[in-house]
Amino acid sequence: MTMQALAARSRRAVWRRQFLLQGCWNYEGMQNVGFAFAILPALRDFYANRPEEALKAVKRHLEFFNTQPAMGALILGASVRLEERVAAGETDPRAVGTFKVGLMGSLGAIGDSFFWGALRPMASVAGALLALLHPLLGIAALLLIYNGVHLTVRRRGFAAGMEGPEGAVGWLRRAALNVRTDDRKMLAAILAGAYAGVFAGRFLVQGGGALRALSSLLLAAAAVHLFVVLFRKAVSPSEILLFLLFVGVLILWL
Amino acid sequence: MAWRFLLAILLGGLCYLDRTAACQLMLHRPLVVATLMGAVFGNMAAGAQVGVVLELIYLARLPVGASIPPDDTGAAVFGGSAAAIASSSIGLDTGSFTALLLLSVVIAEAGKAADRFVRKVNVRIARLTAESVDRGDVQAVEHGLLAGLTLFAVTGMVLALVFSGAGVAVSKELLPRFGPASRGNFAILLPALPLLGAASVYSCSRTERTAVVFFLTMVFVFGGTVLFRWSA
Repeated sequence: MTMQALAARSRRAVWRRQFLLQGCWNYEGMQNVGFAFAILPALRDFYANRPEEALKAVKRHLEFFNTQPAMGALILGASVRLEERVAAGETDPRAVGTFKVGLMGSLGAIGDSFFWGALRPMASVAGALLALLHPLLGIAALLLIYNGVHLTVRRRGFAAGMEGPEGAVGWLRRAALNVRTDDRKMLAAILAGAYAGVFAGRFLVQGGGALRALSSLLLAAAAVHLFVVLFRKAVSPSEILLFLLFVGVLILWL
Repeated sequence: MAWRFLLAILLGGLCYLDRTAACQLMLHRPLVVATLMGAVFGNMAAGAQVGVVLELIYLARLPVGASIPPDDTGAAVFGGSAAAIASSSIGLDTGSFTALLLLSVVIAEAGKAADRFVRKVNVRIARLTAESVDRGDVQAVEHGLLAGLTLFAVTGMVLALVFSGAGVAVSKELLPRFGPASRGNFAILLPALPLLGAASVYSCSRTERTAVVFFLTMVFVFGGTVLFRWSA
């Protein structure tokens, strides 16, 4: 069987479409429609004159799929390469599903920890601190810090995936996202400490001497610790805010 | 005022799309959204003031798997528009600021319910897509995605209209009912909110090493801030 090459135009289309991976996010297949949509230009190239096989390939990608959206680029790139091999008769079609299922959970966990647990808090708190100087400076910092890394991971992950599953695994090892996660968590903690210090200094100390300042600091640190303990006991920020709202309403009444 | 709402709908819809359906470039973060809404309703700085605090509060709830975090984009639409209006009429005193931040939790939960609804409707779209593909229509995948995307966008625009309207209504009707003294009493809760935000980031980034670093930085920056204020 002759191998149909992936046209540069189709590769660019797949790259662009990965940004809509969650365009039809649903509780059943989650990102399945988004994934099938993203890989469709490549499938059209590979199965140009074989509509039956094209249909089977599309159905393969309408199976359940869910991962961290930025990490989806890596799986998408590697799936394109696998589909190319399937179309050429070099690989069993079931390998595509096995590969996706095998990788989406672990990449989802790595991506959630890196993007949602480390990079986003770091970018958010950096933005919030700089917004105290000027709102636009804060917004620029937030968007640049987050997207500088986010778009790089998408671009490099997609390129590595396009080298095939072996390239994807090699890139994951080289990227060492677990080490980068720890570094960014450390930076986020430093910036969050600075944020708490600035606000405690501004709101809690309204005059008085060093003793008053010290007691304000201890009170602020105790409040942060209390909130963290509550989060650990599965109390959500919304529940804490609702409680504070209730207290506020009582204050207005009394 | 109509053109302001129109702009809020367009910008809000765009930010809501970024939240789940498209790109995830962080255009939906409260700092961005509240500042934009503040600018649309006449006071960018007041919007940003709310955005800075809201930005961190919900970070502890991660969008992992099928769990949906509270709608902090909606909270920012409400808070940003309300802060801009409140600051232009009665001045954004600390009591009003605190009230807006606390009221935004109701909006965040309402937005979360709307998000759940959209994702449930998307199940139907995904099923229809799969059925069409079974019948041999490969293009149904593109139509299905477009339908899902449209649903997210329309819902986002409707939520932006409703939440910005609620913000304007609260600022014009509810806040002026309470006198400055009542609002002043309410403001005693304000220091808890940024600290809740800091705790939210800290709980995300908590490892064995970060606890010491967090509290040491807090002490140094607090000391610097207080010394700066005393010397000024």
